[in-house]
Amino acid sequence: MNTDLIPALDAAGLPGPPWLFHFLLVFTFFLHLVFMNLTLGGTLMAFVANLRGGGRPADPNAVLAKRLMGVNTYAISLAITTGVAPLLFVQVLYQQFFYSGTILLGWIWFNMLVLLMIGYYAAYLHKKFRGPWLGVSAVTFFGIAMTHVAVHLIHVQPGKWAQFNTSAWTVLGDPTYWPRLLHFVLAAITFAALVAAWWAVRRARAGADVELNTAIARTAWRWSLWSTVLIMVDGFILLGVLPKPVLLGVMRGGLATLGPLTISILFGVGLLMMLARARNPVESPGLVSGTLAALTLTIAVMTVTRHQVRVLYLEPATSQFQATIVPQWGNFILFALLLVAGLATVFWMVRRVLTSPAEGDEAA
Amino acid sequence: MDYPIWNVAMGGGVLMAWVAITHVIVSHFAIGGGLIIVVTEALAVKRSDPELRELARRSSLVLILVSTVFGAISGVGIWVVAGLIAPGAISALIHTYVWGWAIEWVFFVLEIVAALVYYTTWDKISKGAHLLVGWLYFIGAYFSLVVINGIITFMLTPGGWLESHAFWDGFFNPTYWPSLVLRTGIVVLMAVAFMLWPAFKAGADRRSDLVRYLGWWMIGGVIVSYAGYRWWEAMLPDTVTALFLGETPTLAGLAATRSFTLWSLTLALVVTVLALLLAPRLARGVTAILLMVGAFGFFGGYERLREGVRKPFLIHSHLFSNGLLVSQIDEINGRGIAAHSGWVAAGDPAPEALGRRIFSAQCSSCHTMDGYQSISKALPTVADMELVAADTPAGTGAVHYLEQCSRCHGEIDYEEMAEMMPTLEEIRDDPDFIRELNLGMITMTVMELRDMGSDYADFEPGKQFDMRQLDRSYMPPFVGTEEEVEALALYLASLDHPEATGAAGGDR
Repeated sequence: MNTDLIPALDAAGLPGPPWLFHFLLVFTFFLHLVFMNLTLGGTLMAFVANLRGGGRPADPNAVLAKRLMGVNTYAISLAITTGVAPLLFVQVLYQQFFYSGTILLGWIWFNMLVLLMIGYYAAYLHKKFRGPWLGVSAVTFFGIAMTHVAVHLIHVQPGKWAQFNTSAWTVLGDPTYWPRLLHFVLAAITFAALVAAWWAVRRARAGADVELNTAIARTAWRWSLWSTVLIMVDGFILLGVLPKPVLLGVMRGGLATLGPLTISILFGVGLLMMLARARNPVESPGLVSGTLAALTLTIAVMTVTRHQVRVLYLEPATSQFQATIVPQWGNFILFALLLVAGLATVFWMVRRVLTSPAEGDEAA
Repeated sequence: MDYPIWNVAMGGGVLMAWVAITHVIVSHFAIGGGLIIVVTEALAVKRSDPELRELARRSSLVLILVSTVFGAISGVGIWVVAGLIAPGAISALIHTYVWGWAIEWVFFVLEIVAALVYYTTWDKISKGAHLLVGWLYFIGAYFSLVVINGIITFMLTPGGWLESHAFWDGFFNPTYWPSLVLRTGIVVLMAVAFMLWPAFKAGADRRSDLVRYLGWWMIGGVIVSYAGYRWWEAMLPDTVTALFLGETPTLAGLAATRSFTLWSLTLALVVTVLALLLAPRLARGVTAILLMVGAFGFFGGYERLREGVRKPFLIHSHLFSNGLLVSQIDEINGRGIAAHSGWVAAGDPAPEALGRRIFSAQCSSCHTMDGYQSISKALPTVADMELVAADTPAGTGAVHYLEQCSRCHGEIDYEEMAEMMPTLEEIRDDPDFIRELNLGMITMTVMELRDMGSDYADFEPGKQFDMRQLDRSYMPPFVGTEEEVEALALYLASLDHPEATGAAGGDR
């Protein structure tokens, strides 16, 4: 591979062993995906459900849309917050490629921030004023997904940088662009739909608005089923259009690469079977919880596969460089301890809040 | 300098300034707001004061809307813009302080979750639990400042890190503590500036009380800010303070910025005393605006000063703002910038085209074509020569000479230059000769900038450099071979041709 256009490794070296940053990148990206799925999938689904609700406040579709956007009050913030960590670690591991990819996109990458800001405030405005804001939010979040897929495909293909430098838009013609985008978007919809179904089932089982919640659960369940069907089809297409060396890398990688991929596919088939089993999810609460747990696990495993595909894409380039390792173990341990303490504090705080309900003068 | 170049017409620095300024104002408000809001709520609970409670509640809406949305996105925006305009520089910072940023992220998570919970649980949970969430929010927010302050101050005063390259030597650098005190004061200034608006919505009977209450916070913020600022100045190395302090500061513009900064704080203090403490009934929207002007002016002035005295470095005495490491100067001068960067080497090998790519790689992080720090305005042109030579009406030639030429020809006054220069007619008869002359001047200047690189070898390694020793202390040296000097000069000189508009464009 011609490495002329690839910038030099950072002279400061890696402040820890590469495996640690690979792990942190994958782990924090998975956390980000959970909230990103709720944000993107939830908003797209809410947009359609809102249209189908036809402005009737009691219509199950309208209530579903309202709930999804209610969750988004938290999910958007948390998607951004959890997105900071993988953004940090990708800069440590892949600075040469990541920065170059973003620069080749230039304003498109910068405008991701603008879209995020518009999408976020539009979500708030929708809750207050209705009108077109939900559509604005859905379009902007979809635009952000497109941007991220673009920057990913550009940064992993330094051999094509000269071409992207001429026109970054040519990335839309990359054979993997649309299947990859679709894969993420459908996964987001499946996840958001399953969360909505799980919530509605819980409410219905608790005796709250049983008819309404049953209708919502059924609708959301159907969304999950059909988007999972499409993901399976799209997933195999994506696999088929991967560049040959990358696909061969996955196939010849032994247990390390074939293991996660096989598990993902098996989980996908399993999810389909679970989703197809229940016509009325309210009658099978265990199945609903199990399906949601299985989907979360699938996303975690797919995150590993996605990372391995990136490593394989970049292997011809990264093999030309040898990073100096200047570990800062003390600082890492401090980070790990604070992370545990921080997450424990968050859980403790949420628990305290949940166990301290109050009304009237007793309330804050 | 070996990354592709993203050329922004307005200038990457200007874009960064917009993103960074809005972020720091909002993020400091988010911290100070967290403190004042939770203290206000605690007081409201203690005194059973519904108006104080409403002030806390109304302010928390502003807090959630600006800190969890705008603050978070603009914070990410700083990384995004830095990665676009100065990738090598931000990479160096991240590789040095990744664990610092990771720790800050932990506090950021706590801050955001607590903010969301705090805002959405009014009227729903016990007072004690709600206050606990508020305090956790403040702890998360303040400790993110405690961490990021180490990285920001490191960039200006890396201290012992220059020798040891040890994380904590850079983190607890000479200006760490003063800056933390200063920013602690600033967070209060920002919070009061925003919280006055919700305070104005209180009932007429309590409005004055709330305004005065915020006034006392402001006084505290002003005192802490001023003390922190003076301490910060005192801890700066002499080599840095000489740039903007004393009878003949090296950078007069920064000396003016310092005056502006302190006068802004004075304005905030005067408005606070007069309108918030002595006559709170008179406080209106215009009062809040004046206070915002004072508080933002102080904060903005300080940030400008901090950034200004750091020039031309991103990490003082180690890394220039265009991504060049001090340690790379000799190597790149030997091999050439084209050998160092594939993006410079790729493309048309003609000298002018190569010069354009060299400009993108080395100069465009600070210079735009025609906007901020315009390179075309800084270069000598035929038109400049005509204006100086024409001197019509009388006196304008001297003024133009002072503005356009004296920076490089400080040792020659206008009259002397006028005698040496060709006449207006001669210039008009043979403008190409003038262009040749200008090319010579540009080449000489770039060569001087290249020679400046060798001056860095004279600095004591491991110590903060005394930039006063350099003629153009505010610029990084040019690095590259002599052929590359000529290529850059040819490109720059070509900008004076009317048909050069196309050549002025960037790579992206």
